[in-house]
Amino acid sequence: MKSGLSVSWIVLACCLAAPPAFSDPTQLIIGVVYVGAINDYGYNASFHQALTQVATNLPGVKLVEVENVPESGEAERVMEGLVQQGAKLIFPTSFGYQDSARKVAKRHKDVAFAFAGDGDTAKNFGVFFGSTQAAMYPMGVAAGKMTKTNKLGFVIGMPIGYALGNVNAFQLGARSVNPKARTVVVVTGGWSDKAKEAEAANALLDQGCDVVAMHVDSPKTVIQTVEARGGMSIGFQSVEARVLAPKGWITGLGFTWAPYFTELAKSVITGRFRGEAVYQGLGKMVAIAPFGASVPPDVQDLVNTVAAKVEKGFNPFTGPLTDNTGNLVLPPGAKVGADQMGRMNWYVDGVIGKAR
Amino acid sequence: MPEGGLTAVLRRSTALRTTVRHCGIGVGALLMFAAILLAAGKDPLKAYVDTFHYTLANSYGFSELLVRMTPLLLAAVAVALPARLGLINVGGEGQLYMGAFMASAGAFLLPTAPRLILLPFVAFMGFMGGAIWAAIPGILRAAKLVNETISTLLLNYVAPLIVSYFVFGLWRASENSAYPQSSPFPDAALLPSFFNTRIHAGLLIAVVALLAYWLLLEKTRWGVDMRAIGGNAEAAQRLGIPVPAWIVTALAVGGGFAGLAGMGEAMGIAGRLRQGLSPGYGFAGFLIAWLAGGRPLGIVFMAFLFAIITSAGDTLQMTQGVPYAVVNILLAMILFIVLARRSAGGTSK
Amino acid sequence: MTTPLILGLLAGAILSGTSLLYATLGETIAERSGIVNLGLEGILLIGASVGFSVTAASGNAWLGLFAAGMAGGLANLLFGWLVVTRKANQLASGLAMMFFGFGASALIGARYVGAVIVGLPKWRPSWLAGFRWVKATTLFNYDLLTWVAIPVAVLVWWALFRTRWGLGVRAVGESPAVAFAAGRNPAVLQYQALSCGGVLGGLAGAHLSLSLTLTWSEYMTAGRGFIVIALVIFSKWNPLRAIAAALLFGGAESLQLQMQARGSLISPFLLDMSPYILTLIILVAWGGSRRLAAPAGLGRTFYGSE
Repeated sequence: MKSGLSVSWIVLACCLAAPPAFSDPTQLIIGVVYVGAINDYGYNASFHQALTQVATNLPGVKLVEVENVPESGEAERVMEGLVQQGAKLIFPTSFGYQDSARKVAKRHKDVAFAFAGDGDTAKNFGVFFGSTQAAMYPMGVAAGKMTKTNKLGFVIGMPIGYALGNVNAFQLGARSVNPKARTVVVVTGGWSDKAKEAEAANALLDQGCDVVAMHVDSPKTVIQTVEARGGMSIGFQSVEARVLAPKGWITGLGFTWAPYFTELAKSVITGRFRGEAVYQGLGKMVAIAPFGASVPPDVQDLVNTVAAKVEKGFNPFTGPLTDNTGNLVLPPGAKVGADQMGRMNWYVDGVIGKAR
Repeated sequence: MPEGGLTAVLRRSTALRTTVRHCGIGVGALLMFAAILLAAGKDPLKAYVDTFHYTLANSYGFSELLVRMTPLLLAAVAVALPARLGLINVGGEGQLYMGAFMASAGAFLLPTAPRLILLPFVAFMGFMGGAIWAAIPGILRAAKLVNETISTLLLNYVAPLIVSYFVFGLWRASENSAYPQSSPFPDAALLPSFFNTRIHAGLLIAVVALLAYWLLLEKTRWGVDMRAIGGNAEAAQRLGIPVPAWIVTALAVGGGFAGLAGMGEAMGIAGRLRQGLSPGYGFAGFLIAWLAGGRPLGIVFMAFLFAIITSAGDTLQMTQGVPYAVVNILLAMILFIVLARRSAGGTSK
Repeated sequence: MTTPLILGLLAGAILSGTSLLYATLGETIAERSGIVNLGLEGILLIGASVGFSVTAASGNAWLGLFAAGMAGGLANLLFGWLVVTRKANQLASGLAMMFFGFGASALIGARYVGAVIVGLPKWRPSWLAGFRWVKATTLFNYDLLTWVAIPVAVLVWWALFRTRWGLGVRAVGESPAVAFAAGRNPAVLQYQALSCGGVLGGLAGAHLSLSLTLTWSEYMTAGRGFIVIALVIFSKWNPLRAIAAALLFGGAESLQLQMQARGSLISPFLLDMSPYILTLIILVAWGGSRRLAAPAGLGRTFYGSE
């Protein structure tokens, strides 16, 4: 029964399935795998916008985008599908795609992979990310200056090293201008659980936080919740999020991937792609959003000064640093570089939360 | 599929009619879904052509259908077996997660054991994980305390949380970004895969499970006992059949198969334990078993159909920009048509 | 120090409990008529998606709320057509509805992902706003759905237990044959119960997208439909107990987040398990006396006059 049916389907398929046309002047198909939706005002939107820019600026570049791909075995299937669609450059844009992406890259040496994450590189497998951690330091400065309750909130999706680094730099920045500032962390357990994000933001405000920052895929829900309750927010992932908070917006970080992605696309077209680990921070892959109307000029100047310092190489993770349980985690002079950020597993003194 | 089984089916006069009816349902659903795609401004013909092109007419696509079928087959047997006793197991999803969980525990317990020992041990643990998770509702039902439909359903949502608890805690990987997932399993615990595809030994397990299920029902005295209980449990009890023991055993063995499905996903596909292991294979298994009326060949056919439809989701998104989830409408259309055609009481209750 | 914790807990419980309550009430009505809809998750998603899309397109959240209720009702009528008219298996039909809800909500909402909407207006009586701790939380600052949640629960209870209609619905749920013999039309009553349940389910979904998050994203209900199936049992199919049940489980969620915000970590996963495990324990505790509470005809199919 099954065999008969599948044979007839295969016959039908062969009759119907015309070979894909190769006559168009497409030079490069870029495949993109997203864990959420491209219109999320956040993480996924930042990639979508940058790649759209690449596709419009470079002639003959075409995008094939797949949204809402779970971080499971499904991802491997989708990437294989993208290869079959002719993609020669693939962006697996979520940490959880790592295993799948590496397997597909091993199978297709002629396809370049640019993985938004960390780990080993290979000839056709590069890793990259925006070093937001140091850039969070000036964000903390802004929050530390603006807070009236001296309690800052931070909603994070998953307690991975990068998120912990963001929280820590934020607290260090706030502490540098406001010795009383403390940062309260709430973990939702997923990058995109909207209802939990709303509840988490509310819980932070209930506990007296008046500035809320976040590290989840889409800052939309948190910012809107905070705005509705008259709190202030520090955005993340996309500088456009400021339209969501006309009153409470302080500033925020966004990704500016387009220049790097343009380079990558060109290198694939000319056959010069080599997998590298590229981590760039403020001024390159990371940008500071415009300030909100409520931020006084002196705070703006201070934040800009600190940001310029960070851009020149200031590393907030310089010892001596103690964690929030009293252990010395960085001896004097020791530093945590952008490449070790993923391994961070402690909260700096002044953060209210448990890292593990 | 064994050749003998196929000819036996074709020999039956109803086989042709069944095929025609199934095709009719498929065509009907495809037409309805096409109307929805048209309304959404998409090209349904191209969608279907692309789906054929990337699944059936393509060796990688076809291998992926088999990969997708593997957990579906096992999850369906997990439902069909207890259904013979009139038991409704809606808990395949949870049993699958517990299988993956226990199998992982096995792999981390004996990390240095040779493959010859570790693989069977891990498979055993996977089976036991599902079996234990299904035995709880079985015992509650046998003791006439809680209806198994409700208890299996409730336990579905506990199992993934246990997995999350461990991947966020004790088993959390320490490499790189410390992503909430376990460390990779030792190589010796990984199921062998074939033909340079993702088809793994789990498929063999699934086929053996189906054969065992068929043999059990058709060729053994146990199958007769089970049908007796399914027909009239009280009468069966009076005939001396130990009904409570049967209830627990049937649910546990069924759950064990779902556990093997989870073991396959962890040891055959993911290579480590992580959240979101199953996109609802357990629920799909329930529908497959129900649609197939518990018949082994029907399970194969329906699992194949489910695999094609879910693959269509990938293709639709890549070629037409339709959200993957929309393909669930096609799945629902087929189910609606079948449900509306057939009156209840036919198979499982 | 504990006052803000308790108030925050309560505020959070009401915040997440509102949609749970509406969905629980809806499912209770349906189950009282003998029909269990496992696809409630799908109904919630359709409600959330339709509510958000209509609000985004029209700029009017009330219109969105209305549309969500209608969509939920219609979806449940489709379910009713399967299980009442076509007498299809309820569990399989429910799962089919779940898949339908996944797909339909994704298709409807796809265009409006990322849209910015003005949600349901919230209102706090001015005399309450004076209290310091009230002002510091979301307490008493509610949209219409939250304000009328408890009255709606009482209304549902009254309709089920104090009206002739409710008597009919419950009679059908106990034994369609007896109800039929008593001159009631089981099919009509079940359709009515299902459409009421669907409307409430649609509103529950809309509360998530139009009030709590102001966002639509795929699968945003994240299993709440299934929590509700447990809550219905937990509340013994009683709309008044459903209020406590929804608050309790909304509170479990809230407790976890509030405790985190105070620096102590209870595993969210262990807390998330509690609704299911508690329900199971309660079922075991009732033991064989389940018939006292559950509609006897639940899940069965009525074939007509025989």
